[in-house]
Amino acid sequence: MKGWSEELVKEILGFIHAYSDCHSLEAELDPEFNDLALNIFKFQYQGNPHYKRYCQRRHKSPLTVKRWEDIPPIPFQMFKETVLACEPIEEAEAVFMTSGSTNKEKRGRHYHPTLEVWDASMVPPFKHYVLPDRDQMTIYVLSPAEDVNENSSLSRYLSLAVKHYGTRDSAFFFSKEAGFDMAGLVSALRKSEAKGEPVLLMGATFAYVHFLDYCRAEGLAFNLPDSSRIFDTGGLKGQAREVTMEELYSWFKDYFSIERELSINMYGMTELSSQLYDRTIATKVKGGQVCMEKIGPAWTRLQVLNPDTLNPVSFGETGLLAHYDLANWNSAVAVLTEDLGYQTKNGFVLLGRTKGSEARGCSIAIDEMLAEQTSR
Amino acid sequence: MEQHILAYFVPKGICIDIHEEHTFGEYILEFPNLSSAQVMELSTRLRLNRGKYLANLKTERIVEIIDKTIQLWLNPQYPLRKLAETLLPMITAYDAEIVRLELKRFLRGFRKKDLYRFLDEEFDNPGMLDNFRPRKSGGFTRVYGPELILHFFSGNVPGLPIWSMIMGLLLKSAGIGKTSSAEPLMAVLFAQSLAEVDENLAECLAVLPWKGGSAQFEDLLLERADAVVIYGSSQTVEKIKNKVRQPIPVLGYGHKISFAAVGQEALTADRYQDTVHRLANDVSVYDQQSCLSPQLVFVERGGVISPRQFAQLLASELDRYEKRRPRAKLGDAEIHAIRSLRNRYEAMAISNSEIDVYASGGGTEWTVVYHGRPGFEGSPLNRTIQVFACQCLEEALSHLRPYRSYLQSAGIAVAPERLEALAHCLAQEGVSRITAIGQMTLGVAGWHHDARFNLADLVRFVDIERSAEQLAELYDPDVE
Repeated sequence: MKGWSEELVKEILGFIHAYSDCHSLEAELDPEFNDLALNIFKFQYQGNPHYKRYCQRRHKSPLTVKRWEDIPPIPFQMFKETVLACEPIEEAEAVFMTSGSTNKEKRGRHYHPTLEVWDASMVPPFKHYVLPDRDQMTIYVLSPAEDVNENSSLSRYLSLAVKHYGTRDSAFFFSKEAGFDMAGLVSALRKSEAKGEPVLLMGATFAYVHFLDYCRAEGLAFNLPDSSRIFDTGGLKGQAREVTMEELYSWFKDYFSIERELSINMYGMTELSSQLYDRTIATKVKGGQVCMEKIGPAWTRLQVLNPDTLNPVSFGETGLLAHYDLANWNSAVAVLTEDLGYQTKNGFVLLGRTKGSEARGCSIAIDEMLAEQTSR
Repeated sequence: MEQHILAYFVPKGICIDIHEEHTFGEYILEFPNLSSAQVMELSTRLRLNRGKYLANLKTERIVEIIDKTIQLWLNPQYPLRKLAETLLPMITAYDAEIVRLELKRFLRGFRKKDLYRFLDEEFDNPGMLDNFRPRKSGGFTRVYGPELILHFFSGNVPGLPIWSMIMGLLLKSAGIGKTSSAEPLMAVLFAQSLAEVDENLAECLAVLPWKGGSAQFEDLLLERADAVVIYGSSQTVEKIKNKVRQPIPVLGYGHKISFAAVGQEALTADRYQDTVHRLANDVSVYDQQSCLSPQLVFVERGGVISPRQFAQLLASELDRYEKRRPRAKLGDAEIHAIRSLRNRYEAMAISNSEIDVYASGGGTEWTVVYHGRPGFEGSPLNRTIQVFACQCLEEALSHLRPYRSYLQSAGIAVAPERLEALAHCLAQEGVSRITAIGQMTLGVAGWHHDARFNLADLVRFVDIERSAEQLAELYDPDVE
């Protein structure tokens, strides 16, 4: 596969570079996107017997699939249950793993033979959606960076952001030894306040909840300079504490003086190689109406599927999100999530993770039963 | 023509305002607005009515009245039955044909002969419910049922509340039944039909819908009841149990898991098709919402078909069943649960040849997950079943242990010489009902529901000891 994959990577990088400022709703790019998606599908179909078997079970092959929409999205669980890679995994430059919060033994693994594509896919959209109006910014990072967790795609993301767009004053406030240095962050924020220089805070969504708890306990609040912004990712699912995004955004205003329009949520997952963003900052900077929807770069597409049939829903209806990502060239070009959302003419709205069912009577699904047992 | 149907039943003279209406086709279900004062008055009235009438009825007479009521229901032309057959599928989303068949089968289990079976099963001498009866060891015993039972019904299986209502009546107890929003109708209709047969008896019953745990009067009722019977999730059962302060009987029927076990004897050339057919039936009836429905099946190797083939045949049988009697339309959460299970196992199946998923092509209508070695995993229900292959059934039983307190029915298909030994093993692992596959979802008269009594656990046994009897003789003025 070596020659083929080199060729393919070149093609994908070409696409990314050519359309680095474009987004996934630009229809004139569809034919080109389609060709490349089908190429990648063919490559994965022939390069990975597991992938091939999954497609065959769905009666899909490069002979029958002519439109990117027909490429079967691979359930994200496959990254956990099997090796999804076309290139030899022992030669991979990086392997990103899911956190494995339910089962440490069973973590999803995403192998990247080269990080060149991943990096190329990360950098321009970050600039476009987070810092459209600036070349550099002081970035304070609340979550572990690459030196703390080399197997986390988020850690690499954070490190790359600082490397490419951080000023000299940028700093990481999470270390292996000390964990989250909240006091350090407080004094850094005070310094920014005094200097009047705007900052970008970056971290996992829940890191903010912890930090805001700390601020509340210590009676702290900040008046961060104009143009300061907050980047969060990961959402609030699966955490012991019930906090809604709306609450969190209102706290951002109360504790950091940062408006919703300068808060941005990035939607990413280990199983993908590209990220999707709130359009808040990008549209605010342009001066028009601020868009709250999410959108991805030109090398991604989204399908919303009926959870029952997995057929596409009509435009605007809620369903499961399936992401198509050309940067996922070595694993699966289409990934089926358990996230719910719907499309609008400006992008899509994420509604959060699906929840399992509750039993109606005395019969019980075993998952719930185990939850019952452990909660006792 | 619109038809208004009351979603509650109360004795005559109790006035209740309508609060909410739910429309099902041309039918409008009317839900009451209940105040604490009304409900308290109601409970007093029920107790009074019982004292005046039901408490003095002979058991035989009660059996006759119930039997007559059931006979009404066994007539296909009976208007309330027709109404139930029309409305229940709309309310519950179950297939109409399943509702029709299962309701009929269920009600047949409460005819006179069955009612006597319930009584004789649990009391050496059911006459004890009417009088003091002599004991073998001397003296006399009489049985007293609770004056007022508070029932919490579940909505998973239409008609199930009737079971609990009838048990109460056999014990001469007045009853207040709280219906579930998932199926608020059948208990009401049954009370109405009782009133057709014996108005005074029905005056001892009330059926009311309210949101569990929300109403103020729920706590007041719990204080006033002499016994409480709860069907529902384990959390519901636990929550209500904790609220009961006084030492009264509280029977809770919480979450349970049932499964099937198929021996190689049931997989011979002339038998296997029937075996698969029976299991498909158990899986499909009421979409596994009953705690009696199998969530998984152990299949023994050594038959003419392998466990994997069994799983495949079960899949095609479920597909045929779906065509005849489609599964209920599900809510999002239930669909997500099935989809998530399928995705997980389909992902595993790709690199693990011991796992396979056979599933309906269009949507989530039915799913069979095959495992090449024994284990224990339940199902998100709604016609989703796990098939575990095993060398011999006895070997598979070791996997039951962690689920011990949740196990209920085992539907088994084995040769006669294995039946008792296997039943013994199952019993030791926590199973309380061993039944035929194909019959799993039908509880029979007199069964020990979750290993306990239906009637005897609710009553007080009052003894007149031999000494009192003998001493009384002494005071006979005419004694020699």
